[in-house]
Amino acid sequence: MKKTTFIEAITEALYEEMERDERVFLIGEDIGIYGGVFKATKGLLDKFGPERVIDSPISEVYIVGGSVGAAMVGMKPVPEIQFADFITPAMDQLIQQAAKMRYRTGGQWTCPLTVRVCCGGDVGGGLYHSQINEQWFFSQPGLIVVMPSTAYDAKGLLKSAIRGDDPVIYFEHKRLYRWIKEDLPEDDFTVPIGKAAVRKEGSDLTIVSYGLMLHRSLQAAENMEKNGISAEVIDMRTLRPWDMETIMESVKKTSHALLIQEGSRTGGVMAEISASITEKVFDYLDAPVTRLCGLDVPAIPFAPPMEHFFLPNSDKIVSAATKLMEY
Amino acid sequence: MSAKSVVKKIIPNKTGLPEDILLGLYISLVKTRTTDERLRKLFRQGRFAGTYFSAVGQEATTVGPTFGLRKEDIIAPSHREIGAAITKGIPLEKIFAQVYARSNSPDKGKSHPCHYGDRELGVIHPSSTVASQSIVGTGCAMAFQLQKKDNVVLGFFGEGGTSRGGWHEALNFAGIHKLPIVYICQNNLWAESVPSTKQAGIENFSERAKAYGFPGETIDGNDLVLVHKRAYEAVQRARAGDGPTLIECRTYRWYGHSEIDPADYRSPDEIEHWKKKDPVIRHEKILMELGILTVEKRAAIIEDINQEIEEAIKVCETMKYVDPEEAYNDVYSEAFPVRREEDTDD
Repeated sequence: MKKTTFIEAITEALYEEMERDERVFLIGEDIGIYGGVFKATKGLLDKFGPERVIDSPISEVYIVGGSVGAAMVGMKPVPEIQFADFITPAMDQLIQQAAKMRYRTGGQWTCPLTVRVCCGGDVGGGLYHSQINEQWFFSQPGLIVVMPSTAYDAKGLLKSAIRGDDPVIYFEHKRLYRWIKEDLPEDDFTVPIGKAAVRKEGSDLTIVSYGLMLHRSLQAAENMEKNGISAEVIDMRTLRPWDMETIMESVKKTSHALLIQEGSRTGGVMAEISASITEKVFDYLDAPVTRLCGLDVPAIPFAPPMEHFFLPNSDKIVSAATKLMEY
Repeated sequence: MSAKSVVKKIIPNKTGLPEDILLGLYISLVKTRTTDERLRKLFRQGRFAGTYFSAVGQEATTVGPTFGLRKEDIIAPSHREIGAAITKGIPLEKIFAQVYARSNSPDKGKSHPCHYGDRELGVIHPSSTVASQSIVGTGCAMAFQLQKKDNVVLGFFGEGGTSRGGWHEALNFAGIHKLPIVYICQNNLWAESVPSTKQAGIENFSERAKAYGFPGETIDGNDLVLVHKRAYEAVQRARAGDGPTLIECRTYRWYGHSEIDPADYRSPDEIEHWKKKDPVIRHEKILMELGILTVEKRAAIIEDINQEIEEAIKVCETMKYVDPEEAYNDVYSEAFPVRREEDTDD
């Protein structure tokens, strides 16, 4: 069986959902003739035509805002933001329209759209093609935020997002596009939004992460086994609403929490997870909750040594874990 | 039937509009004016919270384009579009309920006094980010094109809204795809305190349409007959698949940006000049000249409206506020209930 890459899983999900539901359409920059800058929408224009695979002008405000309007009158738009770095013009539409539509209309109008956002570093993308800004949306009620780390979840979460009734921001880490591959079931499947996954069981500490950092955490956990540290690794998968139960149960078991996040530290996703662990299961902790994050600088810098310096990796995770266990 | 008699039937007078339409326009116009003035008074009496954004003086720019639309057509309004809300058919009780923010409020008391909307009637509840609805409305028009429906969208905004980047992105897209939308710019010369001369380097905001490949024109926005005719033609073009139009309606708001704004940045002469162009008096004059309206009939129409207003106020003022826990609802679909504070205090 041919293994399916992370990006092929995304293409398959789009293809299958467009076949399944004629309300689904795509809009974004370079997604049609070119098939997407990373080829996530390759072949979809030929199959579904220019009405359902819309090559947009360079207009992020409209890509999102137009999708909000289309969703309100019965469509299922899947807009693409080519790089997370370019999402900023669309913030008004995401925060003031998409996140608040159901709320401000007393539930009369809804906008079920799935905004695909290509994000993340460790690709030599430089300051403006490596950003990972899920934390902005994580802190906005009314939005759902997901970030898969496996090909299975990439496909299953995208399908759940498209079939759902809420605005979803779907972050896809570009470093995973062709690196991660696995056998996928032939039959239709979905992955539920709001549920974390325990990727490796362990007893000494809990590592929580998502996206590319999940893979760095798994590598670190494997390396730690040699030092006699048994780490449990949790993949959040959905960042908002996040799966409190799975994380708390694990921390209660291991009494140690190490939280890994690619983006910069202050106000990040892991700040919230850390606060909640302290509020909820403080009595179970044997050491302070520890975060390992990207640097608190404007974005991932370009020069390769600086990019590696910015990013958490498996070595840094092992040393943070070792220090945590020695507390 | 000869061609001549058909023409005679459709164009019975100098306005070019049939009597029932002229009267219908008048009723919507005067209903909007009477309601708006009453709401201002109620706010000044402290009978509802927040503030109130009056549209008095510029009603023709919302009533004219909205009158005659189909139920399936969409209104994408800004915050001064009470005339569009009333003309599209939102009952006065719901207008007052929105303002009073009690348990009968269409938005369950969540948004803002002037954010009138109704899904059934195709009126989107606005946000306060001006011209933002024009972008969303353009998306509705894109959907209607994809769905092969002949519904039309009316996007409303002030001249100030046309300075926002997203507005340009939307009009650019609408031009590329010939979307079924009519953009109505209400140029009331002032964006809160900033004059239109500091809003753009062009005099006629309608010229902006040229850059996007569709027609634009600037008209007297206090001439209800003209506004209705021009907008109606644009709606027909949009419905036929001939693309968008930008209509700039020159008008004036008589009062401040909201009721807490004394509007002392404007000269008394300017205000008096525009009050003489009152769209209500102008339309009444036409109707009286044509014999469609009499002093008695006018009084009866206003009395009916006032009665409806009194009933709406009575209903709203005896209504309780919603349970504050309503704050937790309508964040997501039922699949994702909001985590309540007490749940985290275990």
